Amino acid sequence: MAALMLWSAALFAQNPTATGTINATLINKSGISLVFDSDPGGVALGNNGSSTASLNFGVISAFGPLAAGVTRPVVGANSYTVRTLFDVQVIQAGSTSPNYTLTAQLAAAAPTGFAYAVDAVTLTTAAQTIQTNGTYGTDVQHSLNLTVSTAAPGAGGPAVGTPISATINFTATSN
Amino acid sequence: MNMNDRIGVWRSLFVACSCLWSLTAAGQGQTGTAQLTITMTVQSSISLVFQDNPAVGTNGFCPLTNSGTNNVGLDLGSASFTGGDSLTCVAFIKNVGAGFYQVSSAFDVVVTKANSSSPNYRLAAQISAAPPANVTWLINNIALTNSAFTQLDATDNYATPITKTLQVQVKNPVPAQVLQETITFLATAN
Repeated sequence: MAALMLWSAALFAQNPTATGTINATLINKSGISLVFDSDPGGVALGNNGSSTASLNFGVISAFGPLAAGVTRPVVGANSYTVRTLFDVQVIQAGSTSPNYTLTAQLAAAAPTGFAYAVDAVTLTTAAQTIQTNGTYGTDVQHSLNLTVSTAAPGAGGPAVGTPISATINFTATSN
Repeated sequence: MNMNDRIGVWRSLFVACSCLWSLTAAGQGQTGTAQLTITMTVQSSISLVFQDNPAVGTNGFCPLTNSGTNNVGLDLGSASFTGGDSLTCVAFIKNVGAGFYQVSSAFDVVVTKANSSSPNYRLAAQISAAPPANVTWLINNIALTNSAFTQLDATDNYATPITKTLQVQVKNPVPAQVLQETITFLATAN
């Protein structure tokens, strides 16, 4: 009798409980992003580390001094080339893609007297393939080559003494 | 294996393949875009280089060291009033003036322009130090000084070799010594 009463007391001492479940769902989508990084051997980018960076060659000429990070690998009779380096970093998430393809295109036709190239690929307003096996998650160095006609302004050469801009759109596509 | 078992196997294979296809599809074709804005300012410029004359090696046309650059050397050998010059490429004239001898050698100057509408250029030269008494340095018979640039030409054409002759005139009583000058040429766009 004494034992039975103790068991009943224990029953009444327990706190009541209730249970519930949450059925949570997260769709982890895959995606990649592309940012520009300054290269140690090139000019410092504006908005470094972003996907909307700017690159200023400064004052360029066939024979005069150039800004730090700008070289002049070619001076020919009709044109000269100035070059700088920049890095592209593509980051992937939620993807098993082994690498990526990089393309670039001019947002508008090149100004008179100019030709743009990334690495050895001359750019147009149509997408041009720059690289087919880019490595994710690391800075990949590219060169930006600007070939300038030596002709005088108005004779096929570029405008002189005024800033000239162009925009290059880059696209990384996962392979 | 009965019909239901076979259907089960095929269903499993189909599901497995679909999953693989989905995994593969999830990794391909994703794109990321970015925009790089390029800016530069073009400036007109000209360059000046010295070149060997096509007649280099013959009398009056000694070879330049570093020909094709804007920093060259020109060796005129050793000379005396009585003995002439040690180099056959040096033109030697005795009694170019009263008691003077002259050594000379010609070379070409090429000035190139870029992004400029300048029609031509003017050329000047200056020696680096005052020469000893009775020694005169000249370019095409125009005496040079170390105090200012002396104009040699007023309207030279770009990208065209302009032949210039460096002359050194030395009078008899000048003591034996090394005569050396750095001659700076200045091309200015017109």
